Amino acid sequence: MLLFVPNDPKSDLKLKVQTHNIKSQKYTKQGSNKPPWLNLTNKQGRSHIFEFENYPDMHACRDFITKALAKCDEESNKSVVSTPSEQLSMAEFELRFKLLRENSELQKLHKQFVESKVLTEDEFWSTRKKLLGKYSIRKSKQQMGLKSMMVSGIKPSSDGRTNRVTFTLTSEIIFQIFAEKPAVRQAFIDYVPKKMTEKDFWTKYFRAEYLYSTKNTAEAAEDEELAVFLKPDEILAREARQKMRRVDPTLDMDADQGDDYTHLMDHGIQRDGTNDAVEPQNDQHRRSLLQDLNRHAAVVLEGRCIVDVESEETRIVAEALTRAKQVSKANQERLERMSRAAEMEDLQAPQNFPLAPLSIKDPRDYFESQQGNVLSEPRGARASKRNVYEAYGLLKESILEIRMTGLSDPLVKPEVSFEVFSSLTRTISTAKNIIGKNPRESFLDRLPKSTKDEVIHDVIFNHAATPSNPCSRNLTAYGLMCMAMKQSVQSDLRHQVSLLVRSMQQALDAAFQHYESDLQRRTAKIA
Amino acid sequence: MIFKIEDVTVYFPYDNIYPEQYEYMVELKRALDAKGHCLLEMPTGTGKTIALLSLITSYRLSRPDSPIKLVYCTRTVHEMEKTLGELKLLHDYQVRHLGAQAMILAIGLSSRKNLCVNTKVLAAENRDSVDAACRKRTASWVRALSTENPNVELCDYFENYEKAADNALLPPGVYTLEDLRAFGKNRGWCPYFLARHMVQFANVIVYSYQYLLDPKVAGIISKELQKESVVVFDEAHNIDNVCIEALSVSVRRVTLEGANRNLNKIRQEIDRFKATDAGRLRAEYNRLVEGLALRGDLSGSDQWLANPALPHDILKEAVPGNIRRAEHFVHVLRRLLQYLGVRLDTENVEKESPVSFVSSLNSQAGIEQKTLKFCYDRLQSLMLTLEITDTDEFLPIQTVCDFATLVGTYARGFSIIIEPYDERMPHIPDPILQLSCHDASLAIKPVFDRFQSVVITSGTLSPIDLYPRLLSFTPVVSRSFKMSMTRDCICPMVLTRGSDQLPVSTKFDMRSDPGVVRNYGKLLVEMVSIVPDGVVCFFVSYSYMDGIIATWNETGILKEIMQQKLVFIETQDVVETTLALDNYRRACDCGRGAVFFSVARGKVAEGIDFDRHYGRLVVMYGVPFQYTLSKILRARLEYLHDTFQIKEGDFLTFDALRQAAQCVGRVIRSKADYGMMIFADKRYSRHDKRSKLPGWILSHLRDAHLNLSTDMAIHIAREFLRKMAQPYDKAGTMGRKTLLTQEDLEKMAETGVQDMAY
Repeated sequence: MLLFVPNDPKSDLKLKVQTHNIKSQKYTKQGSNKPPWLNLTNKQGRSHIFEFENYPDMHACRDFITKALAKCDEESNKSVVSTPSEQLSMAEFELRFKLLRENSELQKLHKQFVESKVLTEDEFWSTRKKLLGKYSIRKSKQQMGLKSMMVSGIKPSSDGRTNRVTFTLTSEIIFQIFAEKPAVRQAFIDYVPKKMTEKDFWTKYFRAEYLYSTKNTAEAAEDEELAVFLKPDEILAREARQKMRRVDPTLDMDADQGDDYTHLMDHGIQRDGTNDAVEPQNDQHRRSLLQDLNRHAAVVLEGRCIVDVESEETRIVAEALTRAKQVSKANQERLERMSRAAEMEDLQAPQNFPLAPLSIKDPRDYFESQQGNVLSEPRGARASKRNVYEAYGLLKESILEIRMTGLSDPLVKPEVSFEVFSSLTRTISTAKNIIGKNPRESFLDRLPKSTKDEVIHDVIFNHAATPSNPCSRNLTAYGLMCMAMKQSVQSDLRHQVSLLVRSMQQALDAAFQHYESDLQRRTAKIA
Repeated sequence: MIFKIEDVTVYFPYDNIYPEQYEYMVELKRALDAKGHCLLEMPTGTGKTIALLSLITSYRLSRPDSPIKLVYCTRTVHEMEKTLGELKLLHDYQVRHLGAQAMILAIGLSSRKNLCVNTKVLAAENRDSVDAACRKRTASWVRALSTENPNVELCDYFENYEKAADNALLPPGVYTLEDLRAFGKNRGWCPYFLARHMVQFANVIVYSYQYLLDPKVAGIISKELQKESVVVFDEAHNIDNVCIEALSVSVRRVTLEGANRNLNKIRQEIDRFKATDAGRLRAEYNRLVEGLALRGDLSGSDQWLANPALPHDILKEAVPGNIRRAEHFVHVLRRLLQYLGVRLDTENVEKESPVSFVSSLNSQAGIEQKTLKFCYDRLQSLMLTLEITDTDEFLPIQTVCDFATLVGTYARGFSIIIEPYDERMPHIPDPILQLSCHDASLAIKPVFDRFQSVVITSGTLSPIDLYPRLLSFTPVVSRSFKMSMTRDCICPMVLTRGSDQLPVSTKFDMRSDPGVVRNYGKLLVEMVSIVPDGVVCFFVSYSYMDGIIATWNETGILKEIMQQKLVFIETQDVVETTLALDNYRRACDCGRGAVFFSVARGKVAEGIDFDRHYGRLVVMYGVPFQYTLSKILRARLEYLHDTFQIKEGDFLTFDALRQAAQCVGRVIRSKADYGMMIFADKRYSRHDKRSKLPGWILSHLRDAHLNLSTDMAIHIAREFLRKMAQPYDKAGTMGRKTLLTQEDLEKMAETGVQDMAY
C-alpha cells in the first residue's frame, strides 16, 4: 500500500494505491522538454500521473516504488512458488543469467543441480531470492571495474599445423583497447565500415601489434593503415596536456623543467654518471612498454566511464568513449586535497573524514586470499602465536575488568583485541580448510558452552550500552562478516561453514534471547 | 600553541609539538642569535619545514626593529608549492592570534613559464621560447616602436603593470604560483614582473636553489637582497651537486653549428646597421672605450641572463681593445669556434686543466685569456645594440661565450674533458667538450659571505662533518637530531637473498643474472599481496629499470603484480611521469592500491613524498652508485682527494647511500605515519656501506633484519603491518614523551630541563 500526498500544504488530497495493483510505471526522460512526470498504471488499466518539481525528486520516488514493488513481488512469489509457474519475465531471466555469468561458484552449482535435474530451475533460484533481489537493486549503484590484465597479454591460439593464429576478442577487450588507444578508436570510427569490415580492422590491428613486437616497424610504415596503429598517439598527447592543467601542483614536475636554469641547453653537467645514458631513438614509431603500462593502469583506474552503453555494437562503444573523454574540471577538490596534505595529522585534534562504504563484488575472493596468507605463514610464526584459549582468556579477563571498573578508553586494550581477532581469523580459515577431515569440530564448540554465552552476552550488553566504542563495532563487524561469509558461500562447503558460523550466531542469538527474557522477567516482577 | 624559546615567543599552528621540533627551533634560534650559519639534520617526517618557518617568522615578530627576511630555497617547484602551503597555514594561525601585525608578504618566485598568464606567450612549449616570446612583447625598443607602429604586438598585462608603476603592489598574504597568477589575471597585471618587483618588499621569498646559487640567474634576481636575510636551503643533501652544476658548461657539435649560424645572423645584422644606423655601433664602441660598466645601464630588466662567473670574480675594467669593434669580436668568436671544432675531433678522451687549455688556445688561435674573460659581457652588449629579442635562437652562441668566460676566469677547481663518445654507448659517436666544476664551495661562497645566516637542512646530511668540508664554511651550529618514536613506525630491512637463498645484488656482474631478476620480482609479487595501498620501488637507473620490467613482463611476474595492484612507472618524459604520479595517488586514495616504479637520482626521488597511504613500503633495488667510470666523476674524485683528503671509495659510498636514504626516507610524514623500507642488495649487509645511512634509519635497523631472505622479509612485513594497524597512545608511553603539549613546554621552561623528552 502506497500513500501519495501532494507537496502542497493547502490541498489535502491524498491518493492510496495498492502496491500489488501497480502494473507498470513510466516516466519522462530527463532532458526532454516535458516536465518530470511519473505515470503509474494499475492492473485495471487506470493510470495516475504525478508531476514533480524536479527530476531528482522524481527519481527518488521512482526508486522507492521500485523497491516497494520488488518487496511485494517477493511476497506474492512465495505463494506462487508452490504452483510451478513457468512465466518468467524476460528481465528476471536476464538477471539470473547475468548472475550466473559473474559468479563462477554459482555457475558450478547451477550446473551440478539443475542440469543434472536434481533441482528445477525455480527451486534453485527460490533459495537465492536474496541474491537476486540484492543484485537488482545494487546493480544500478555500482559499476564493475575493469580487469587489470594488459591487452597485450592476450595470447593468440594457434592450430599448430599452419601459421594461422586466432585472436578471440570480447567486448571487454575491445573496450580496453579503445580506452587505452584513442588513435585506434578514432581509426575505427573513420574506417569501419566505410573502408573495411570490422574483422579486417582487427586483423590489421593485431598484425601491426605483431610487427611492433618483433621490432619490424619498417614494414608497417609502408602500409598507411598499419602505420596508424603505430605512430605516436596525438589524441593521447592532447589529453595529457589537458590533464596536466588540473594536476596537483605539489606533483607537477613539468613546472620544474620550466624553472630550472640548469636545463638551459648545454649548461650543467652532462656526462658524470648520475644522468642516465639514453639510447637516442630516431625511430618515429617509438612507443615503450613503460608508456603502455602507465596508460593501461590509468584506464583501469578510471574504470568504465560510459555507464549507460551496454551495447555489443563496437561502433557505438567507440563513439560513446570519444564523447566521454571530455576532461572535467575538479579544481576545488584539488585545492582541498592540497591543503589537507600540508597539515600534520597527529599534531592536532583528529579530523573526521567522510567514510565511503566498502563494497566488494565477491567478498569470498577477499576472505579466501586472506586464508591463503595465513596458511603460507612460516611455521615459526604460528608457534609463537597464542592459541585460541589464550586469546579467549585474554578477552574474558578484559571483560571482567570492564565489569569491575567500568568502561575506560580505549575500551579493550589494543593488544588484547589484536590477539583475539588474529586467532579468530586464523581459526576460521584453518577450520575451513581442515573441514572434511573432521567436520564436526569447530573452534567455538571446543569452548565450554556456558562461559561462551556469558562472554557474548556481556559483550552484547556493553555494546548496547556504548554503541560507539571501537571494540563493539569490531565485534558487530565480525558478526556481519560471518553472515556475509555464510551468504557468499553457496557451495557444498556451505554446510560445514554454516556449522562453523552457526555456533557463533547461536551464541549471539542465545545472548539476545537471554537478555530479552531477563528483561521480561524483570518487567513481569515489577508488574 | 604559543610558547617561549628564551626571549622569542613562538607561534606554532598546532596543538602539540614533537620534542625534536622544539629542539630544532632552539638550535636554530641560537644560530640566528649568533648571526652565523648552521647545519641541521632532522629525520623526514618530523615536521622540519613547519618548525623552521614558525621559528623564523616568530623571530621576526620578536625583533620588530630589525626585521629579518627569509629566503627559502627548495630544489623543485612542487616543493616550493608545498612549503607555501604550510606557510599559509602558519600565517593564518599567526594572524588569528596577533592580528594585523603578523601580516607578512610571502611569494613564490619562478620563471615566466610558470607565472605568465598571457595565453599567446604560454603557447610556446619550453621555457626559453616562453622567455623569448615575452621579450618580444616587453623589450623597451619593441615598446618604443609600438608608439609609431600600432601593429606591433605588446602584452596587455605588462602594459597595465607598467602603467600602474609604483602602485602595482601585492597586498600582504601568502602567494603560491597559482595565487599569483590568479591575482595577476584579476588585476590585469603581469604576475611575473609583479613578483619580481615584490622581491624587495617581501618578508618571505620561496624559490629554487638556482636563483641564489647560479650566478647567471642570481645576478638578475637575487642581487638586491639585503644582508639581514636568513637563507634556508631545504632538502640540501645534494647541494654540492647543484653548486657544481651551476658553474659547468659543455659544448657539442650541435652547439658549434648553432653558434656558427648565430654568428652569420649577427654579421648580417651588423652590416644592416652599418648601412642604416651606423651611429649606433659607433656609440657602443665609444661606450666600451670609456669602460662604462655594462651592467649599469641594464638594471631592472632581464633581457639576458647574468654573467656566468661569480660576482667578485668579474673584472670591473674596460673591455679589451681587440674586441671592442663588433666585427672584430665576431672574428674572435669565429676563431674560437674553429678551435673548439678541432678539439672535438678527437678520438681519445682528453683531460686538461683550464690553464693549459687557455695557453694552447692562445698559441693556436691567438685568443688571450683576458679576451676570453670578457666574451660574455661583449656578447651581451652587442646583442642589446643590435636589438635582438628572439634570445632562444641565440642560445648556442651564449653557451660558447659562457664557456669562454668561465674558462678564462677560473684557473683551479675546474677541468676540461673531451670525450668522443659516451663510455656506455661506444657505438654512437657524440663528441662533447665539458668544462666541469669540481669545487662546490665556489658557487656557494658568495651566499655565505653575503647573508648573515645560512641554514642548511635535510633529512639526510650524514656524515654531517663532510658538508662543511665540501662547501668550506664554518657553521656555528651543526647537529643531527634523532627521532623520538612513539612506536617503531619505521621498519627498515636488508634483504640479501631470495627465497631460493641465492644472493641478490645489482653489482655489475650480477645484475642481469636471471636468478636475481626473478628473485627481485618474486619479492615484489609477495609484497604487493600483503601490503595495503601504495608500494614504491626504486631502481638504480632508467636502463636497469627498463630491462628488468621488460623481463618481468615476459616471465609473467608483472601480470602477477598487476593482479594485486595497478602499476605506474616513472619515465623520462616529465609530463607522463607527472600524470602517472597523479594517477598513482588517486589509486591509493580510492583504495585500489598501486605500485610505483621509480629511479634513484631521478626526478621523482628528488622531491615527491610517498607519505601515509601513498607509500607503506619502499623497496630500494640495489645500491645507487654513480657510474664510476665516468671521466667527470673521476676528475672530481681526484680533486676531492687532493684538496680535502676525501677518499674515493668513501665519497662514492657516501653519495650512493645518501641517495638510497633519500629514496626510502620519503615514506614518513609524521609519527602517526608508518612504513617499511627494504634495501634489496647483499651489499647493504656490509658494515662499511650500511653505516653511512642516517642515524634515524640505523637506529631502527635491528640486527635480526640485516640478512633476510624473501620469505623472512614477508613474515616480518606481515607482523609489522598488523601491529601498526592497532590504535596507540599518541602522546607516548612510559615517561618517554613524544608529543608535547603547551603544559609540557611550560613545565620544561620552568625546570630548565631541556632534554626531558629523551
